[in-house]
Amino acid sequence: MQSQVLTARDRWAIETMQRQIAVLETRESQVRQAPEPVQQCAGWLALQRQVPGYERYLRPWIGGVGFDGAVPAIAEHRTALRVRLALADSEVARFDPTTRQRAQQQVGLRLAVIGKGGAGKTVLASTIARLLARRGRKVLAADLDTNPGLAMSLGMPPTEAGLPPEAIEEHEGGNYGFQLAGGLTPPEAVERFSTPGPDGVRYLGVGKISSESKWAAKQSVPAVVQILLGVGSPEWDVVADLEAGPTTPFERYHAFASDVMVVVGPAWRSALTVRRLLPMLTEVNPIIVASQYGDEPDHAHLAPWGRIPFDPAVREAERRGVAPLDACPDAPAMRAVESLVERLLDRAATVPSVEGGGR
Amino acid sequence: MKIAVTGKGGTGKSTIAGYLIRHLAGSGHTVVALDADPNPNLGISVGVAPEIVESMEPILNALLDSGHTHKDPQPPAEELLRRYGVKARDGITLVATGKVERPSDACLCCGSHNTTRQFFGDLSAEHRVVVADLEAGLNDLIWADPKQDDVVLAVTDGSAKSVEIARRACGLAAGMGVTRIIGVANRSVDEADRQQLAKELDIAEIFVVPEDPAVLAADHRGLAPFDAYPDSPAMVAVRELATRLVAT
Repeated sequence: MQSQVLTARDRWAIETMQRQIAVLETRESQVRQAPEPVQQCAGWLALQRQVPGYERYLRPWIGGVGFDGAVPAIAEHRTALRVRLALADSEVARFDPTTRQRAQQQVGLRLAVIGKGGAGKTVLASTIARLLARRGRKVLAADLDTNPGLAMSLGMPPTEAGLPPEAIEEHEGGNYGFQLAGGLTPPEAVERFSTPGPDGVRYLGVGKISSESKWAAKQSVPAVVQILLGVGSPEWDVVADLEAGPTTPFERYHAFASDVMVVVGPAWRSALTVRRLLPMLTEVNPIIVASQYGDEPDHAHLAPWGRIPFDPAVREAERRGVAPLDACPDAPAMRAVESLVERLLDRAATVPSVEGGGR
Repeated sequence: MKIAVTGKGGTGKSTIAGYLIRHLAGSGHTVVALDADPNPNLGISVGVAPEIVESMEPILNALLDSGHTHKDPQPPAEELLRRYGVKARDGITLVATGKVERPSDACLCCGSHNTTRQFFGDLSAEHRVVVADLEAGLNDLIWADPKQDDVVLAVTDGSAKSVEIARRACGLAAGMGVTRIIGVANRSVDEADRQQLAKELDIAEIFVVPEDPAVLAADHRGLAPFDAYPDSPAMVAVRELATRLVAT
């Protein structure tokens, strides 16, 4: 093999991949040590959903553009991920159908919400997160928008900072020049740095842009992306609210998610945006949710899986800057989200668990 | 004059930019309609047919297709405008900086954001009006980097989130030395919205655009409200804004 000088970018990629394998190895050994077969099975099922996230994240690296020196390591990493997925598949197959079915119900959602600005992403993501938490689930609400909004819709005080300085470190080859601090694993990062919100939701987010913080807001982004990819315990539901438009899927903030919810409003341009987003989501099954609907017909070829009506009570909550779930819990839009949550959970519990589990 | 239109997603940036562009062009100004959104759709509000908007080649995409890399110097702005600008009615030139189409590991700072920065920065403001419709949120305002003589319009829609984002946009613009910053209270329901927004943004110049079902109806059909309902209340309001902008 031709020897190649590694650039900072190559070194960062290689370190990122090594860390990902370490995360998976730790998870696998924890799954093996789980006391009950149902827990073990749930652990492997969760790995069936987690590992493809790493592969989705890796996909644009293949071909090596920008990573010339890391090409062999990228190819090896892809193989290693496939081996781990095959391992999870074979472990799941060892359990009897009853155990698998029970385990399936314990595996958390990995959900990303995207769409055009103003379509209702944040109201939807925050309400889903809180309604999941009210069912007694552990929910991580991840804020991947450098503009404020998610905390407000969750009903939490606004936060300016992303991760604290001790959670990130500089790397000259990393995106935005930063990465998750060495030695800090994604599950530890969630335990230590997420903040509690209403209904027991845990909030974790990137920094917010302001006149005092023009560029620093981005410093947490790469770490938060790796944290979401690395949360593998089946007990967590992860719900991430992504910044409007195509740039967040471009940077693959949604890679962690087995379900990507694409929110479309009645406006023609909202549909145009979704039509542009869908080709970027080839490796997941997008869930189209029509939001803010009156009596408009559906957009052509964008048949919605779910529907949230336009609701003056939600608009009023948005005007006041409070969580719609606190301001108008019984409003039609809130009831529609409740039924959406029900269906999301049913859907997750019936994903085929052996062949093609979660992929 | 160069005008950058910023604000939270869905507040009506492109719609207001589109009206402004049409009013200014219709009253004899030479107008460049600059779509800086990586999800470009300003053309719709200007009244360009959707097929043409979809088939337009943004500057960055065209340069990359011709073998340009981010390390090569970008051709001069006026040259780019001649090459990639599309002629629309009333002499408007519509141009987009870059469209994001697929996940990649190219970074946006070397991509569409930087193209926006250089192009908006370099374009001459002499004898023309440049109206730049920025990407939703605050990031693109930092990249566009408006200067002292430029105008920043921060659009809100009455929601607390949009007001908070506009407040930050005003702070950022002031920090960049911009002296004329205008808050736009779009979809306003009453006069109290003006005072409320002036207080929240802590700026003197607030412009009110009323809630207008005609705009909503045009929006649902993907039409420019300017063509569909030229005398609707929101249109009339933006006509005044256009007049006010060029009068001073």
